[in-house]
Amino acid sequence: MLNRQVAPKLTPIKSIDFSVPETYEIHAGIPLYWKNNIANETSKIELHFNAGTTIETPILASLTAGLLISGTKTKSAIQIHHALDAVGAYYDVSVSQEQAVVTLYALNSYLKQAFDIFHEALTAAIFPEKEVQEICNERQEKLKVQLQKVNVLAQRKIQQVLFEETPYSQVISQGDYATVKRTDLITFHQKYYLNGLSKVFLVGDLSKEEMLDIKTACADFAGKVFNPLNCKFSGKAHIVHQEKSDALQTAIRIGKIMFNKTHPDFIAFSVMNTILGDYFGSRLMSNIREDKGYTYGIGSYMMENTNFGYFMIATEVAKEVREATIQEVKNELERLQTELVPTEELELVKSYLLGQLLKAADGPYAMLDLFSGVELHGMDISFYNKYIQKVQEITAEEIREMACKHLDWKSLSIISVG
Amino acid sequence: MIHFERFKLENGLTVLFHKEASTPMAVVNLLYDVGARDESEEKTGFAHLFEHLMFGGSVNIPDFDGPLQAAGGESNAFTSNDITNYYDVLPAHNLDTALWLESDRMLSLAFTDKSLEVQRNVVIEEFKQRYLNQPYGDVWLELRPLAYTKHPYKWATIGKEIKHIEDAKMSDVKAFFKKHYHPSNCILCVIGNFELDYVKERVNHFFGSIPKAKKSARILPLEPAQDRFKSKTLVRNVPADAFYYAFKMPERKHPGYYFADLLSDIMGREKVSKMYVDLIKKQKLVSEINAYITGSMDEGLFIITGKLNEGKSFAELDKEIWKILAHYKTTLISKKELEQIKIKLRTARAFQDQGLLNRAMNLSFFELLGDANGINEEQEIYQSIHADDLRTFANQLFAKKNGVLLKVKKKKNA
Repeated sequence: MLNRQVAPKLTPIKSIDFSVPETYEIHAGIPLYWKNNIANETSKIELHFNAGTTIETPILASLTAGLLISGTKTKSAIQIHHALDAVGAYYDVSVSQEQAVVTLYALNSYLKQAFDIFHEALTAAIFPEKEVQEICNERQEKLKVQLQKVNVLAQRKIQQVLFEETPYSQVISQGDYATVKRTDLITFHQKYYLNGLSKVFLVGDLSKEEMLDIKTACADFAGKVFNPLNCKFSGKAHIVHQEKSDALQTAIRIGKIMFNKTHPDFIAFSVMNTILGDYFGSRLMSNIREDKGYTYGIGSYMMENTNFGYFMIATEVAKEVREATIQEVKNELERLQTELVPTEELELVKSYLLGQLLKAADGPYAMLDLFSGVELHGMDISFYNKYIQKVQEITAEEIREMACKHLDWKSLSIISVG
Repeated sequence: MIHFERFKLENGLTVLFHKEASTPMAVVNLLYDVGARDESEEKTGFAHLFEHLMFGGSVNIPDFDGPLQAAGGESNAFTSNDITNYYDVLPAHNLDTALWLESDRMLSLAFTDKSLEVQRNVVIEEFKQRYLNQPYGDVWLELRPLAYTKHPYKWATIGKEIKHIEDAKMSDVKAFFKKHYHPSNCILCVIGNFELDYVKERVNHFFGSIPKAKKSARILPLEPAQDRFKSKTLVRNVPADAFYYAFKMPERKHPGYYFADLLSDIMGREKVSKMYVDLIKKQKLVSEINAYITGSMDEGLFIITGKLNEGKSFAELDKEIWKILAHYKTTLISKKELEQIKIKLRTARAFQDQGLLNRAMNLSFFELLGDANGINEEQEIYQSIHADDLRTFANQLFAKKNGVLLKVKKKKNA
């Protein structure tokens, strides 16, 4: 007879198999990573360029990225898009602070063709004036919508205060669109796309010849190797509230500059961060959503760049509970700094994190993403074995120490908009 | 081709199993055949509020998420106008944990007052965050009642108004559970590296003793045939004038559903579609434009939406939109364009099928439509569509009296 009150026995995860992609060199210091033997016909190629928002200005980075397929001397943007459609390919371009990543998706039998079309479009891009005007109009309209949202306003503000006086603090404002000249985009493209490739990730069952052809063609985008900025951040904590009279909710962002994977405290800190706010059963969720009902969601996150990271708590709450919410966040941090995490909770989080890592390593696409997460910091895949070991061993005392050492309330910037 | 096995428990629970040997994870997906269309007009938003309560503890297990997280897993759910879908993703060796948790909440909930009170507040904040505190956020709250007069699609999943959620009572919650949450109203799908016999045995072990209940017949008010074009204007604090044309399209099981889907792909193609080229590139009338379908079980909506450029009028736009619709009614889509869209569909589908969770949700959904094997037949349907099918269909779809228009006008001095 089934006794429903007794939970099934659990089997812990002891180890996970991590695999690395094959590595080739496109040019000195510019690798191509290839994951093949895929069980299905999907494939993708990811080109990473040193063309992020910090290299010059966000407006140039963003518009150049948006106009990569805007036409060449011999082909219009429409013709190029039709050619990509004819092989069933999709592409997207994302721009972060340090990189612009162009991804092409196609069935493996068409990837090489799609890449050739893309390669030609990118190398010969001429940025027609008409296309520049069109994208400026479209982006400006979208920005207007974005700037009405409290979460967007709070996010921009905290970025400005955390990274003040460095290129990482730059955001696009409405006025920027009027200042852009076509020639600036051409120069940006020349410097950071035609000479700015940093690495390539390839997934898919292609023939070795196809892979080598792609590798050779990628050399056209290689130039000098860039070193990311080494910025000094002030570390000053700011408390800012912006009133938005028509808002129904208040967006809150609480954060500070932090380290990335290269720091010896990283793994212990991220276990502490999970307990605090990085899973559905976290303390912030249990208290502020599931007990008080102040919000639809609240979380805390670790973000990583090449030379640093940052920590952030984010939520949108009912307008009248802004202060109560900030107080509860403070209480939760203090609790982590003064009390030991109960064994049951710590064990739960350990199992949860290992289960999530197992999932994050499931399948070739996921595995390549994991690899990319360590490659960025010049580390190798053995990091994840250290991670498993550290998660298994960590004690409640270490969790408390992490909270005390890195999350002093007075060191945190607090932004609210609404 | 996605291979699957199907079996039924004596209490009426339908189970699908898809073996995937390459993964260390398992997916457990439960599709309950209940959505916002099953609510009464005075108590809307209930199916979705109920989904939140499903995480508030069940009859024998006080906390749903904790044990799942301790097993290394994760869970979530969504509610639509048609269905409520719950899923768990966890390491395969802990499959039992997901089956134990899901079977207990199918058996009965804890029904605590605290859970109801808190989730009411959480859902009210969700209502504000997603529908009221965003520019254009309330469009679907307005568009639905414009397009539907009788059918329950006239309200959004989140509910008609916050008051309905505030007023939800425990007795309503219990009645809703009794009516909709039982084995014969659910499709369970398991994916992982298991053998069929093992899955049968484990599912039976946890779900077999849940009492059988009768699946209630769904009798929804029929939407009367629309007899005239309708439009409505909202004035809002938004940065640009926006438009939403909505045309009634066939229900999910009708062949016309596939025509509508393909036509929306063709008309909404970024950068190259006729709408994009004519209205954005040539005439500079709009800053963005798109076409898509709602994809609902009953008669759905084919949407054409976008934003006007500063200084352009709704009247100018209207003229151009009808010109474009007339084009699709009279001109055959070229063979080349049709081939392009079909190969794009194939690519998109191959990437979707990569994900275990996607496979589980799709199998369950097709089973609800009548046969999970529909997942393997759908591509063939799309590939067999001809240009003249689409032209004929466009003539029915884009009849003027079949449409509505919602305009969101920018408030002066906003």
